[in-house]
Amino acid sequence: MGEILLKNAWVIDPISGINGEMMDIAMDGGRIVEYVSDKADVIDAEGFLTLPGGIDSHTHTSGTKVNFGRYMSPEDMRAGRTPKKGAMHVTSGYSVPTTYGNSYKYSALGYTSLVEGAMAPLEARHTHEEFAFTPLQDSFANVLFDGNWGMLGAIEEGDIKRAAAIIAWTISAVKGFAVKLTNPGGTEAWGFGKNVSCINQTMPRFDITPTEIIRSAIEANELLHLPHSVHLHCNNLGTPGNYTCTLGTFDIVPDLNDTRQTLYATHVQFHSYGGSGWSDFCSKSEPIAQKVNMRPQIVIDMGQVMFGRTTTMTADGPMEFNLYRLHHDKWSNHDVELETGSGIIPVNYRKKNLVNSIMWAIGLELALLVENPWQCLLATDNPNGAPFVKYPEVIALLMSKKYRDAEFATVHQDTGKRVPLPAIDRELTWHDIAVMTRAGQARALGITGVGKGYLLPGAEADIAVYPIRVDDIDPAQQYEEVIKGFSQTEYTIKRGRVVSRRGDALVHGENTTFWVKPNVPSEYDMTHDERFKEHFERYYSIRMSNYPVQEEYLHRNYCIRTETDLSTTHD
Amino acid sequence: MIIEDVPCPFCGCLCDDITLTIKNNRIVGVENCCVLGNAKYLSKQRLKHPIMRKEGKWVEVSFDEAIEETARILSGATRPLLYGWSGTYNEAQVTAVHLAEELGALIDSTTSVCHNPSILAIQEVGHPGCTLGQVKNRADLVIYWGCNPIEAHPRHLSRYTTYADGYFFENTVSDRKVVVVDVRESETAKIADEFIQVKPGGDYLILSALRAMVRGRGDVVPATVAGVKKEQLQRVVDLCQKARYGAVFFGLGVSMTRGKYKNIRNAIELVSELNRKTKFTISAMRGHYNVYGFNEVLTWMAGYPFAVDFSRGIAFYNPGETTVIDVLARKEPDACLVVASDPGAHFPKTCIEHMAAIPTIQIDPCVNPTTALCQVQIPVAITGIEVAGTAYRMDGVPIRMKKVVETEFPTDKQILDRICERVRELNGNG
Amino acid sequence: MTYTLNSGRVIPQGAFVEHKISQGYREATSVLFIHPMDLFQLGIESGDKVRVTSAAGSVVLRTEETETLREGCVFIALGPYANAITGGYSHGTGMPDYKAIPVEIEPTDDPVMTVWDLMEEIGGLRYDN
Repeated sequence: MGEILLKNAWVIDPISGINGEMMDIAMDGGRIVEYVSDKADVIDAEGFLTLPGGIDSHTHTSGTKVNFGRYMSPEDMRAGRTPKKGAMHVTSGYSVPTTYGNSYKYSALGYTSLVEGAMAPLEARHTHEEFAFTPLQDSFANVLFDGNWGMLGAIEEGDIKRAAAIIAWTISAVKGFAVKLTNPGGTEAWGFGKNVSCINQTMPRFDITPTEIIRSAIEANELLHLPHSVHLHCNNLGTPGNYTCTLGTFDIVPDLNDTRQTLYATHVQFHSYGGSGWSDFCSKSEPIAQKVNMRPQIVIDMGQVMFGRTTTMTADGPMEFNLYRLHHDKWSNHDVELETGSGIIPVNYRKKNLVNSIMWAIGLELALLVENPWQCLLATDNPNGAPFVKYPEVIALLMSKKYRDAEFATVHQDTGKRVPLPAIDRELTWHDIAVMTRAGQARALGITGVGKGYLLPGAEADIAVYPIRVDDIDPAQQYEEVIKGFSQTEYTIKRGRVVSRRGDALVHGENTTFWVKPNVPSEYDMTHDERFKEHFERYYSIRMSNYPVQEEYLHRNYCIRTETDLSTTHD
Repeated sequence: MIIEDVPCPFCGCLCDDITLTIKNNRIVGVENCCVLGNAKYLSKQRLKHPIMRKEGKWVEVSFDEAIEETARILSGATRPLLYGWSGTYNEAQVTAVHLAEELGALIDSTTSVCHNPSILAIQEVGHPGCTLGQVKNRADLVIYWGCNPIEAHPRHLSRYTTYADGYFFENTVSDRKVVVVDVRESETAKIADEFIQVKPGGDYLILSALRAMVRGRGDVVPATVAGVKKEQLQRVVDLCQKARYGAVFFGLGVSMTRGKYKNIRNAIELVSELNRKTKFTISAMRGHYNVYGFNEVLTWMAGYPFAVDFSRGIAFYNPGETTVIDVLARKEPDACLVVASDPGAHFPKTCIEHMAAIPTIQIDPCVNPTTALCQVQIPVAITGIEVAGTAYRMDGVPIRMKKVVETEFPTDKQILDRICERVRELNGNG
Repeated sequence: MTYTLNSGRVIPQGAFVEHKISQGYREATSVLFIHPMDLFQLGIESGDKVRVTSAAGSVVLRTEETETLREGCVFIALGPYANAITGGYSHGTGMPDYKAIPVEIEPTDDPVMTVWDLMEEIGGLRYDN
């Protein structure tokens, strides 16, 4: 982490208002600085496209269900084997690579920060163990609260502050970053094999609806001043006609935060379906995108589907079971006591399949129809829609109508009647892509304050240099060049060190886990709450004292402390 | 000094509510623990120094000499085997995987001779499972198949099933039904509401019959299946379909018999089928307290839960070929490192014969049958008593094991780190 | 006649896991549980010794009667005695046949070996210090 001078970088840095300028970037001690001495190592970026390090705001790379995806899929492991090479360890896996595999491949794509989309608190230690072996990216964990008995009980009692206190205790106990709701109400109902149909159905076990869970979690989240908003995987994922449920969900979201959205809705492609069944299944990307355009308090990510084999994995246990009944391939399920569920099945998205073709179109439509790129981020819900290695292709599709048309000609012939994609002419710009792959993520996650997502002095020196000369390429025509350029960085710099060069990882370490610790007044500290403790010891299968993730699991970490509005004097 | 909430380093239940009394750096009192854990906590026997065979005799040597000899043997081998791992913590297992990669070795764990077939079945059809607290709070039907928790996992019933306090139960004992399937009337069978005494090797047939009956095709099931009357099977099917939540636990009685992974596959498919009617889960009764941890570590590091061969430069997995029993039966390995397990006591004779014929090294706190097969043994601190570290309960819940007494002995990880470092030097990768 | 041998975990074996060289472990793992009718057919009584022979080898065990088994089925705690008659063939699965092993049983006056004896028989060296 000595001094480095990156010269001749053609920079797009949307947060800093830089849109294509030739610059020199100085780094020292892992941060971007104004100047370096003449002893600095000089790297010549040769006028290549230089962006802040990529940030994936919703991916599944670490933890219990990801590892079970590997465990149950030797066929996937065999599909991506690399030997030991230089600093790189052996890796396995295509759609669910080993931790080193994820880290090296993401780094080759210029990614320096990853948000694990769903961490069950009870099994958080596992996620953190895998973070430790994801050496080239900083890690953040969304913590699942959708079926959290403590939080749901407090919501049922109408006590939002208690709900917030339970969130605060849990999220800092498990060293998590944000509040995640996956099919709120549904995962708890799945404990007895049930589900909830949409946001207004009362849960079997608690006398509340998903609407109340979502609203209350949002209020609690803002009481705690967490950096990120509530991160929501809507009810009814994957079912025909679910777009009404999604629109209804977006309607109940208040606008409570001046600096970022109030709700992050993830993999919205899977929630934008019309039709009453699979026979009249169709795209409803237009009403969804219109709703997002009208509601600045919402940010979504695409959840793009790309064709080919992958593995689906989510905390949404009942959804995976339904998917299993469609595919009849292997099915794993893992319910987590008092907290959440999960399911895993392998899938193969095929062009010959009409539903799969429509899904592919919907993700692209969302990105093209949402006017503001800051409100629709690029992600595949890795690996659910596609493995993240497909990101360069997704970028190229968004930048080129010609490429979309060429692809469209190869999908199921009836797709055109069910989707608006062929009529959409918009082609995204380099700047749009920079927003949708890093700047937008940094802002939506609320982590610009810790130096993420931009390249001005003070920022973390996380930088991706792509072998693309923007002035020499017309992305609308030369989409192959775009794919190639984004597939492998010339340099990926993490915390002021070159960690990846032309696809090869060069060094290890320096990865940091970011977690939050709301400063809760003592009357709201669940550590000393008798009712909370009694309930915990009685119904969990482990002791409360053994639940928090110990410091040993955070060899390098950054704790984001927040001040809260829980103090009774605020009433 | 009293230490509460200590996780027990014995079986896969990983009970984390043990209270220990420590006096003069010794455990003098154990509360809440079963007889198995108790015996381990209060055990006094251990190997005091590293030992090495010289001219047909055991001699005491220094740790330095033992480590040097180990590194020399391993780095000089063309087909080294690294085996064991279930009785140590994840952080040491991680080093083991790096060592295997460095050596181009074959690495396998005790999984290979316990729930290996369960994993093969899961790789074919998946695994509808859950954490144990889910069973504790919800399961009104518990099926123990080919396992005998009262003797092998003594607190399983009181912590997680029949006798455990559960949210959805007024009276946990009377509101839950227990079915046991076994070839003998085990201690667990004696408390069952239904005991199905199956003829040895008949599990597959019974499972197929149950699946047919659940699918409404009882007409194809003969009057007796593997020694079990159809009427009894019908009663069990009725119990399953009436249950709000059924939890199947299976043991080595299913995985070790003929049919092996096909038995488990059949059981999993029965459970998947029952999920169309009600809620059902299935779980393996894992033996060692951290046998599952090794599966997790090797999976996130190399992609597979056991039996990984690094000799090709990539991680290669082919059970039946790269599994420890087969590789020993073929007499392939020319050196072997055993850590935290005891193949001398648990492998077929023909396999350990080969271990005795090649340079074998053991890292273990105790003298055990494997000691006799070794050239070198290095004693270490005991995980969960003298060393802290991560272990995974049989349901995948990771728990941090505690250090409750001080020790002079090095940890598994320290020894493995030193071996790894020395091997790198000897290989010219230092 | 041919019997079906199963092996498994039992409490006494588990409690001696850290003391596998002890008399207790030896006693816990070298007992053959057998139905009284089978003992009768063999013309011996509970506590008498038998030689148990499979395709993989043979071992001397002490009998103990139990009616928890079906006739024709015998049981032994897992351990070095069970393994002396377990083969290394895994049918390509990695898992040897630890259960349902066909064995012949005959009365014997030969001694029950110690664990060290078993290990030395296959080329090991006892550690007695």
